[in-house]
Amino acid sequence: MSRPPLKNSTEFPPKPDFSITILSQTQLLKMVVELTRHIATLFQFSVSDAQKISLAIDEAVTNVIKHSYGNETDRQITIEFFLAAGGMRIRLRYRGLPPDISDEEVNISRMIKNKRKGGLGVKLMKTIMDSVTYKTIDGENCCEMIKWQKVK
Amino acid sequence: MKSFQIRSKMVGGVAVLYLKGHLDAHQVGRFEKELIRVIRDNNFNILINGQELNYITSAGMGIIMGYIDEVREKGGDIKLCSLSDRVHETFDLVGFTEIYDFVPNEQAAIEKFNRIPPKA
Repeated sequence: MSRPPLKNSTEFPPKPDFSITILSQTQLLKMVVELTRHIATLFQFSVSDAQKISLAIDEAVTNVIKHSYGNETDRQITIEFFLAAGGMRIRLRYRGLPPDISDEEVNISRMIKNKRKGGLGVKLMKTIMDSVTYKTIDGENCCEMIKWQKVK
Repeated sequence: MKSFQIRSKMVGGVAVLYLKGHLDAHQVGRFEKELIRVIRDNNFNILINGQELNYITSAGMGIIMGYIDEVREKGGDIKLCSLSDRVHETFDLVGFTEIYDFVPNEQAAIEKFNRIPPKA
């Protein structure tokens, strides 16, 4: 992260300011959370927002490990951080099964009745982040999340 | 030291699960195993004490969601108490605070359980 942290622009740079590639292992989630929180705090997000952003990334990486890689532990996930004055974009790049994301509103009462244990992660991600998008190009999946800083 | 710890004990007829630390998808199996054990022992008044819980993801919240209906069908409930503002906010982000019973502390939760006679 050699670039100065703040620019007078809300445009994100074409290349990530920081990236890390991890194996698809849930034991690494805590490290990813701590790293994300640290980067978000460095780039002037409040402690509260930094904690929420890191939770959203935890959920996104968990979904990749669980659903795209079927809990296989030897696959790769690249997490890229793009920083601008107004916010932060975080992109996950991974292979495996493409995401199956529904636009349907999560109905907690129905999920309780159906005794479901999963399905809350994407809701959390969408609630926390300002934008969450998924796409798949040439077998590579991409989950991109943006969080803008609150105007003071 | 493990980043997540769980222990349980009976208090006033209520099975209290004490969660401590960082509960994510890596640790959630231990939480589910203990919750299943409590339910299989026919304890349906269950309190999750999160006084020392500093982080939870949807994996942990999903476990409660997966078993609360079974517990309620048997006349009990899963209540939560003593959560930090941060953990409470995580439950709030998915709308759980409107569906589950959050109580300020363990004593108040035990009293609340014992005010409601269990179904026969």
